[in-house]
Amino acid sequence: MSIVVNLDVMLAKRKMKLKELSEIVGVSTVNLSILKQSKVKAIRFSTLDSICEALDCQPGDLLEHIGN
Amino acid sequence: MKYITHKPKLNDVRIWITLSVLIVLPILVGNYFEPESPVLAVTTLLIVGFFILNLVIRKFLYFRAYFTSNYNLLTSKVRTEKEFGISKELMFEKLIEVIDDSKFTLIKANKKSYEILAISKISWLSWGENLYISFEDRGDESIMQFCSATLFQIYSWGKNEKNHNDLMKAIDSSLTV
Repeated sequence: MSIVVNLDVMLAKRKMKLKELSEIVGVSTVNLSILKQSKVKAIRFSTLDSICEALDCQPGDLLEHIGN
Repeated sequence: MKYITHKPKLNDVRIWITLSVLIVLPILVGNYFEPESPVLAVTTLLIVGFFILNLVIRKFLYFRAYFTSNYNLLTSKVRTEKEFGISKELMFEKLIEVIDDSKFTLIKANKKSYEILAISKISWLSWGENLYISFEDRGDESIMQFCSATLFQIYSWGKNEKNHNDLMKAIDSSLTV
């Protein structure tokens, strides 16, 4: 997929662990791990909103399009 | 995705042998022995005992080979393989979540061997099916192997295929976070 999720980068910048984010956002660690690996089929705006809120970032900081 | 179905075929001689034994044996026993005969009682007991034994052992992963074997003519099976591109450790956890949220009941999940056993509910069409899910690494890919097996039915009335489709739909929808 040409969309890459930079969740691990943002987590490192904020010095936050996946489990902490999972508790704040209310999404299971399994789902966040799959999201981190860019293997999800889709992401809800509500989830994106919660993650941006928790990590104090913009959607563009999390999602990146990589051209062919 | 590989999709292998083990349904009885009318040209399969094993099916006719099994059906013959299941139909002819009770008739023979019933005809040759008096209703009070101990042979009749023992035969009935054996059949009921076998039925109950199967109901008990279905909840153990240890008996997976028995229920999924191609030589077990009393069960109908559907096997599939699918690659998700997610590590088997993660997919194993994901499957447990998916089964917990689905209509299936999680019975056992062995993290050492990455095997999951779930069962479906008893309905008018079946005694409930055993769902065996396992994961294996094949090269860089992790493959999910699925097998739905009936309990005492040589024909599943499409329940095995339905279980497979329901589980795949549940996995697909769970990949939207």
